[in-house]
Amino acid sequence: MNPISLYLRLVRIAIKARMQYRADFVTGILGVIVMNVVNISLIGILVSRFADLNGWTIWEVVFLYSLWILGHSLFSLFMWHIRTLEDYLVQGTFDQFLLRPASAFVLFIGREVQYLGIADFAIGVSGMVLAYSNLRLTWGPVEWGFLVLAILAGTLIEMTLTLMISSIAFWTGRSRRANSLVMQVNVMVQYYPVDIFGAFFRVLVTSVIPVAFMNYYPALMLLGKVEHIGAWWPLAYASPVVALMMVGLAAGVWQLALRQYSSAGG
Amino acid sequence: MKLFWSFTRQAFHNTVVYRVEFWIRLVSILLAMYSIRAVWQTLYTQRPDAFGLTLGQMVTYGVLGMALHAFIDTGSEWYIATQVRTGAIDTDLLKPIDFHVHMLARNLGEMLFGMGVMALPTYAIGYFVFGLQLPPDAGAAGLFALSVLLGFLVQFHLGFLLGSVAFATLDIRSIAWAYFAVISFFSGQMVPLWMFPDGLRAVAEILPLQAVYYIPMSIYIGTYSGTAAWSALGFQALWALILAGVARLAWHQVHRRLTVQGG
Repeated sequence: MNPISLYLRLVRIAIKARMQYRADFVTGILGVIVMNVVNISLIGILVSRFADLNGWTIWEVVFLYSLWILGHSLFSLFMWHIRTLEDYLVQGTFDQFLLRPASAFVLFIGREVQYLGIADFAIGVSGMVLAYSNLRLTWGPVEWGFLVLAILAGTLIEMTLTLMISSIAFWTGRSRRANSLVMQVNVMVQYYPVDIFGAFFRVLVTSVIPVAFMNYYPALMLLGKVEHIGAWWPLAYASPVVALMMVGLAAGVWQLALRQYSSAGG
Repeated sequence: MKLFWSFTRQAFHNTVVYRVEFWIRLVSILLAMYSIRAVWQTLYTQRPDAFGLTLGQMVTYGVLGMALHAFIDTGSEWYIATQVRTGAIDTDLLKPIDFHVHMLARNLGEMLFGMGVMALPTYAIGYFVFGLQLPPDAGAAGLFALSVLLGFLVQFHLGFLLGSVAFATLDIRSIAWAYFAVISFFSGQMVPLWMFPDGLRAVAEILPLQAVYYIPMSIYIGTYSGTAAWSALGFQALWALILAGVARLAWHQVHRRLTVQGG
């Protein structure tokens, strides 16, 4: 069986397993929606009190937020459990992926789905629609095409980053706190345009933890604000390339991790 | 009383064990402070005269919200919910101490640990790195300390009530997310209430949530002083009492119906 059809079959099983708990589904979705509405309102109050945030109007900030959460929603739907890799390692349940005649990565990634990603996706779409109409944007096919690429790039960037950080657990047995720290940086980028921060932070989220490519840089292109970054304008188009580089890097780290893995027993 | 302190001490020791976690938390708090300063600085560069507060006061307010968050929210709801889900709550009930008092002691220990080991050092670093301000005078500092303690009591009892929900639903995660979001909004933890649009502000002023962050922080930066500060403290004390009463009542109900799974 090829890896893709294997993955699709695993996801179907995971969805069936999830549907056993329907009450959770409703409260979970509501919880995520309330959380996001509150977060965006807080930023909204600030930005509207002060007119704009370093040249970003309230709807442009909503656009940044929505673009980020669209990329994030696919991650959270299909790959959230990467963050729990340490539990698989510590409990020894990771061995099940190594004992079967298929790629350990495909087996692991198809192990679970997390329905809350649906709420993220709904919020992202609504925010995007509101921002698009309020900013009176008129995109051609190039922009729409780039939007899709940027969202997928965002998913890949978050996934590869999480996979690499979680792989620390292959060596240390622990990675949860490190993941939370990266998530915190990530959320700062989700809420605020990167250019309000100092040079150190901008370099950090462009190179070491390249989450600025999830929303900030592609948004510059999509909102026609490329001149914001002057000579660095190619970055506004670079998200797909960055995503592919991250995939290569993460694949390397994963191979390295598997090679030195020894089971916790069980 | 001796028993009370022994639980408090134990919670303190449990938390000291995780050193790496300590460093990561430290970095994470500094990062949060940094983002708060960046946001306010940008906003103030645009409108330096906003709301009669200086940028220094505003950054102090924002960072204080972060520092308080690092210890005032001890997450009693997670402890209770986990114990209930795994059935380990029976060991808590077997202890020769009232459950509510036990939880209060335990969380007070965690709060003091968080304050002494996490918040004070990081705040001291923030004081030098980000130029934070101190309370206007010693009196204000004293009232602030009292106000933080009352704020902790309000926060703890809200968490206790949320944790008690676990007896009905087992999983409180999604409810907790909504609850945290509502707290961070209406408590004025990130954005002071006077910046809210009128309607939202009216709601925020009725809710007990402002007792957790907004009131202590306003006393600290000096926007509440004298009579205003004392009546704000009264508001906190009143809500702490009401919530403690409701929490005990709720626990009494839960305890009567409790059946523990497994064993």
